[in-house]
Amino acid sequence: MLLLQLLVNGIVTGCALGVVAVSFALVYATTRIFHIAHAGVYTLGGYLAWSLLAHGVPEPLALLGAMAGCTVLGAAIQHFLYAPLERRRATHLIVLIASLGALAVIQNLIAAVYSSDILEFTIPWASAVVTLGGLRLTGAQLATLALSLAAFVGMLWFAHRTLLGKRIRAVASNPFLAEITRLEPRAVYVTVIAIASAVVCIPGVLVPLDLGLQPYGGVTPLLTATIAMIAGGVGSLGGAFLFAVVIVVLQNLSLLVMPGEWSIGVTFAIFVVFMLFRPRGLFAAG
Amino acid sequence: MSAYLEVSGVNQRFGGLQALNDCGFAIAQGGITCMVGPNGAGKTTIFNVITGFLRPDTGHVAFRGRRLDGLRPQAIVAAGIARSFQNLRLFVDLTALENVLIGLPSGFGEAPLGALFRPFHTARLDRARRAQAMERLEHVGLADRAAEKVRNLSYGEQKLLTVARLLATGAELLLLDEPASGLAAGALDQVMALLRRLQGEGKTLLVVEHNTRVVQQIADHVLFLHQGHLMAEGTPAQIIADPALAEIYFGGAL
Amino acid sequence: MDYFYSYLILAEIYVLLGLSTNLLVGVVGIFSVSQAAVFGVGAYIVSDFLLSGTLSFLPALAVAAVACIVLNVLLTLPSLRVSGDYFVVTSFGIQLLATAVFTNWTGGTGGANGLPGVPPPDLFGFPLEETRQILGFTTVAAGLGCLAFWLAMRAPYGRLLKAIREDELAVAAAGKDVLRAKVSAAALAGAFAGVAGGVYATYMSFIDPSSFDLDASVLLLTMVVVGGARTLAGSIVGPFVLLALPQLLQLVAIPTTVAASARQLLYGVLLIAFAVFRPQGLAGERL
Repeated sequence: MLLLQLLVNGIVTGCALGVVAVSFALVYATTRIFHIAHAGVYTLGGYLAWSLLAHGVPEPLALLGAMAGCTVLGAAIQHFLYAPLERRRATHLIVLIASLGALAVIQNLIAAVYSSDILEFTIPWASAVVTLGGLRLTGAQLATLALSLAAFVGMLWFAHRTLLGKRIRAVASNPFLAEITRLEPRAVYVTVIAIASAVVCIPGVLVPLDLGLQPYGGVTPLLTATIAMIAGGVGSLGGAFLFAVVIVVLQNLSLLVMPGEWSIGVTFAIFVVFMLFRPRGLFAAG
Repeated sequence: MSAYLEVSGVNQRFGGLQALNDCGFAIAQGGITCMVGPNGAGKTTIFNVITGFLRPDTGHVAFRGRRLDGLRPQAIVAAGIARSFQNLRLFVDLTALENVLIGLPSGFGEAPLGALFRPFHTARLDRARRAQAMERLEHVGLADRAAEKVRNLSYGEQKLLTVARLLATGAELLLLDEPASGLAAGALDQVMALLRRLQGEGKTLLVVEHNTRVVQQIADHVLFLHQGHLMAEGTPAQIIADPALAEIYFGGAL
Repeated sequence: MDYFYSYLILAEIYVLLGLSTNLLVGVVGIFSVSQAAVFGVGAYIVSDFLLSGTLSFLPALAVAAVACIVLNVLLTLPSLRVSGDYFVVTSFGIQLLATAVFTNWTGGTGGANGLPGVPPPDLFGFPLEETRQILGFTTVAAGLGCLAFWLAMRAPYGRLLKAIREDELAVAAAGKDVLRAKVSAAALAGAFAGVAGGVYATYMSFIDPSSFDLDASVLLLTMVVVGGARTLAGSIVGPFVLLALPQLLQLVAIPTTVAASARQLLYGVLLIAFAVFRPQGLAGERL
């Protein structure tokens, strides 16, 4: 029974991190920027929702408000940081450093405003427990599962059914094509990062419903998400989502044999195994 | 008797693309061989195979009767084959002289322990190497640009510098990927004269070239590649006179 | 005066770390946010040997250096195999994993409580207990580190590394062993970080995971970015400037609860500002 419970917990959190992975993969496939600051956008989402709720805003509106805030932050990072760097022909390394700097700024502004202690959400329905044949699921978990799957399906729809999405996938799956066609960069990049930021806000709000908020809490989810993206094959949104679920399930199952402090080790071990045997990922296009 | 360089039965697939298809040819010592063919014929790919940057799916490469396929690039340079790149790949933040120094065979002070524990020995030997590198620069006519950073050199000077770096390796078979492309008439003549001179000094050259005028002027022998396969070979006159090849070359390219 | 001495000692220890990070990030061109983990391994190894009395200071330092050479080579190996972006994941992963080990392996590291009472450094049975003696020692150590960096960079070895940073493929085409050069640079960087760790632990006499976490790695990266890549001057300027900044922050009245985040915030701002406006840092070459 414990096994089953851990499995279900893993699937729920895995879906949430799958959304992080898919949103990150979308940015990476389009811009080739390894958007470390995405972890900061994820974290900010949770804090914005917490503040809105504290001011009496109803839950759905708080989520939408937080998504709006994340959209603005993501677009601002592209417009005021990545775009000027590209104009200055900055090296890849410099863009990484700038992205890391942006993450540090976001995290520590949050810490300065909200303090670095854990903040708990107090939403009655989120902590209410539903028992399904011996399995315990919180309201937060049910919401996480439903909204994460909805967000994932929405991202797939965007990638497969919209013109912009199709072009992005074409470019992501074929680097040669990318060199020739170069999507009209400025406008497309801002749009893509804005969409990804709005989407990553969803898990950013949902995951902390159970675990609480921490200013530095975005790094580990982003690490899991990026590992999932690489394992799933860059350019494959489904692969990224699936592997996020697999990794988080394995993390949860590892609790049977070792304490939770070491789950980062499990995540990393999965990554090392993948790097050794399948450096291009399982579902890589081409 | 085995050929100087012999490529046989090389196949190379990239995903759905058959870049090399049972590609094979031989090159004699001492001449200038030009490799021509439409874009995508596999010319650069075969360079990558010969120099160890690609391990082909099948086939082999032999140099002076010795199998080279499967060796790493540095081992192939040591065996006596070196290549240049179409997009030059110079170290633009280093000086012209330093670029040539990187081309020279490895010497003392290129590993950290020697550099740290025998600094004076390192410095003395490096001075000798600098003199050697300077000779290579003089050879291509760039001696007066030795201390200039490569990003400040003209395109023609950069092309000459790639040849100097290539010469520095001491290799006897030089693979040049479009050494004359993008050059104005004056610089073009300079490069062609240099290639002729290298041949006179005993080097063997395999040159990828698009410019038919250049091919006619420098080539002793021409290899015509099409769809990853050796389609024809012969003297420049024979190749240019063949209407079927011209159709592929110009018809296919346009 | 003691306060100023302790600033100098710490800055000199961080010069060794700056050299280490500069070798990886500035010279070889690898993005790294895990050098603090290697630093920590050096610190814990020396502390454990000294606290258990199995080895005296200098042999313990040598063991730490060798261990960190091996460790850094192993950590850097993925960057030699996979593209630069994937190594970002490796580097974050290693740092978070190291923090987990430092915090949870109570047997070797004292866990979150850290290791108190690390004895002062001693040279051949002569303990360095006064601040000035330790300053003398760190000055010699940092001086030797700088000399090694300078010799390596002006030798053909340094030229080879710079060429590799610009274009690995072209270096391989010139007949050089790229892998060996990169591995040796990682080894050199590991030796610097290991020695710095050992000296740090014995000077502070107390170490805990907070000195070796992701924030610490970001600080090291900031030192290289602010100081400047690939130059000795940059590797020295970075640590001295970055360690002086928190003192300046104290002049502004910031409540102690946010002091730590204010410091990290400043590092983030510096990373962005230098990346955009001055990628060559104060005294280096362009990253």
